Amino acid sequence: MGQEFVLLVSSSVFCVGACGFIIRKNPLIMFMSVELMLNSVNFLLIAYSSFLNSLDGQIFALIIMTVAAAEVVVGLAIILTIFRTRHEMDVDQINALKG
Amino acid sequence: MFASSWFILLFPLAGFIVLSWYGGRISKPLVGLVGCGTVGASFLTSLVALSDLLFLPTEERISKVHVLYQWVSAANFKLDLAILVDPLSVFMFLIVTGVGFVIHVYSIGYMHDDIEYSRFFSYLNLFIFSMLVLIAAADFFFLIVGWALVGLASYLLIGFYKEKTSAVLAARKAFVMNVIGDVGMVIAAFVIFESFGTLSFVDVFAAAPEMFRPNDDQILLITLLLLVGAFAKSAQLPLHTWLPDAMEGPTPVSALIHAATMVTAGVYLIARCHVLYELAPFTMYLIATVGVLTAVFAGTMGMVQYDIKRVIAYSTMSQLGYMFLAMGIGVYSLGMFHLMTHAFFKALLFLAAGSVIHALNGEQDIRKMGGLKNVMPLTHATFLIGALALAGFPLTSGYFSKEAIILSSYHAEMGNFVFWAIALITAGMTAFYIFRVYFSTFIGETRSPDAHPHESPLTMALPLVFLAVLALAGGFLGPLVDAFLAPVFGREVHHFHDGVLETIALIAGIGGIATAALMYQVSKDRIELMKEVFAPLYDLLFHKYYVDEIYDFLIVKPTKAIGKFMEEKAEKQGVDFAVDQVGFQVKEVSRGISFWQTGRVRTYALNMVAGMVIILLFVVFL
Repeated sequence: MGQEFVLLVSSSVFCVGACGFIIRKNPLIMFMSVELMLNSVNFLLIAYSSFLNSLDGQIFALIIMTVAAAEVVVGLAIILTIFRTRHEMDVDQINALKG
Repeated sequence: MFASSWFILLFPLAGFIVLSWYGGRISKPLVGLVGCGTVGASFLTSLVALSDLLFLPTEERISKVHVLYQWVSAANFKLDLAILVDPLSVFMFLIVTGVGFVIHVYSIGYMHDDIEYSRFFSYLNLFIFSMLVLIAAADFFFLIVGWALVGLASYLLIGFYKEKTSAVLAARKAFVMNVIGDVGMVIAAFVIFESFGTLSFVDVFAAAPEMFRPNDDQILLITLLLLVGAFAKSAQLPLHTWLPDAMEGPTPVSALIHAATMVTAGVYLIARCHVLYELAPFTMYLIATVGVLTAVFAGTMGMVQYDIKRVIAYSTMSQLGYMFLAMGIGVYSLGMFHLMTHAFFKALLFLAAGSVIHALNGEQDIRKMGGLKNVMPLTHATFLIGALALAGFPLTSGYFSKEAIILSSYHAEMGNFVFWAIALITAGMTAFYIFRVYFSTFIGETRSPDAHPHESPLTMALPLVFLAVLALAGGFLGPLVDAFLAPVFGREVHHFHDGVLETIALIAGIGGIATAALMYQVSKDRIELMKEVFAPLYDLLFHKYYVDEIYDFLIVKPTKAIGKFMEEKAEKQGVDFAVDQVGFQVKEVSRGISFWQTGRVRTYALNMVAGMVIILLFVVFL
């Protein structure tokens, strides 16, 4: 398993995540796309940690996972509240901040 | 030993505070009692200070500074809370509190029907306090404090009838004119501090003769700046226009502030600072010239006015001119003596005029008076005494003081023939116009048949009698005043004797009276004819030399025009426009930018990714 392979997988997953975030309108799916992007980076970090014989990458990955977990909690709470008040799940309709 | 002198100031201050806070809640007699009592107590304390002073040897009487504590001490600037008790200040204390007390008593009767009785008395007490601060000050700082405070009290009292527009305007005019003087005084204090490093009278006067030679630039500057204050306060040319208008105030106010005390502050200032003025002969000459010119100008204006109080106001200006003349030619104690006799007879004239106005329910036009001699015998007698004293009739107080000044204006070292001639002409005019008022008011037929004049109550009559006695006999105090004030001025004034000139002055005075009698008694029908013959001159005098109009044209109108320009152009089209434009432009720019803020999360994400891709392309290919 060479570096090229790792980079290819990681960037592919990241691109899938980014495209998913841009294309999908359902906030839950968008969240999952965000997780994909985050985890593609985690994958890269851990792989390189192994290549370079350094623990830094793994620790970074742990921190990112923690942050992601926290972010999901907050994000899901927000989504839940919006759904309760507006009864819709289309992010394009939620544009109250339009200038 | 002069600790008690502080109470001279504190009594009227206490009266002012009590009447301001509780005046509305206590009964009228009590208000009168507090108002008069505090000033009376102040007068008695002044007598104590006088006796203290008389017990001291002559040479120890000057420079008695009583320090309460050091008020300011900052770097090289030190200021004591102190009063100066010397013959000059005690002399002024006695006049201010003495005449002030009499006028307070008179006010009880005069203001009896006024709703705002206690406000009036609290202002009067404030005035007495301020005037005493001015007199007692031991340095230029407190002098200016007192100077400004009397201006405030004067403003409040001129505008006392606040529902009368003319009174409010007159008050404003007096205030503005006085502030011009205040500014001069403050700048003078700056210059004094810069040259001497202190503001204390004693130190400044001790240092001045060694520091300056006569007519040095610095000393000329100081004396001229102080003079601005003196001229404004004492209504000398060209800052005189406020005084006749100040007659809008109640008559006791005119008597107290605008005749007996406040307007003499300028004379007091020159007397107090005579050390500085002696180093500036040029300024002295200017004082004498302005004084004598004011005397004659005010005299001519007084001859044609119909308002009884205005005539007396012009005579006040004219007599102040005499005092300035006396100061200018260096006969200080004669000037102070005339200040005293003038306080007596002018307060008397005003109070008697007030009695007439009171009896006629506020009528002030002498054309509508007449024949009051029989109805108001006491007022008639006292007014006649006042008029005789003002005219300088032999053996009245005015005779001694004015005659001496007129004589000195020729014989004194700095006097000359022109001063004497103008002073003499003025004396004749003075006698003429005051007897014109006398004949119109008291003699002849009544010209207001509807009015039912009556003699004034006791509280008004007693002050009249008291002042009449002083106006008659006050002249004999002359030598005493002279001797008492001599230590302050460093010399006794030289009394000149010149039978010829004295006789001429006497003839001028009596001639004036005779002319008035002739015109207003014997040949009344010719007055109209004379008015027509001298029409241009008459108009000029009647309109007070158009000075008000000239000031209006030169100062008031341009100032108003600038104000209007500033409001309409600079404010609305300049400042307002700029402020509006800032807001408007920010809003416009924001509207353009807000195009990017769609509110759609996916657009933002796409933008982010696009940005990321662009950065990547840069990193990879460049």
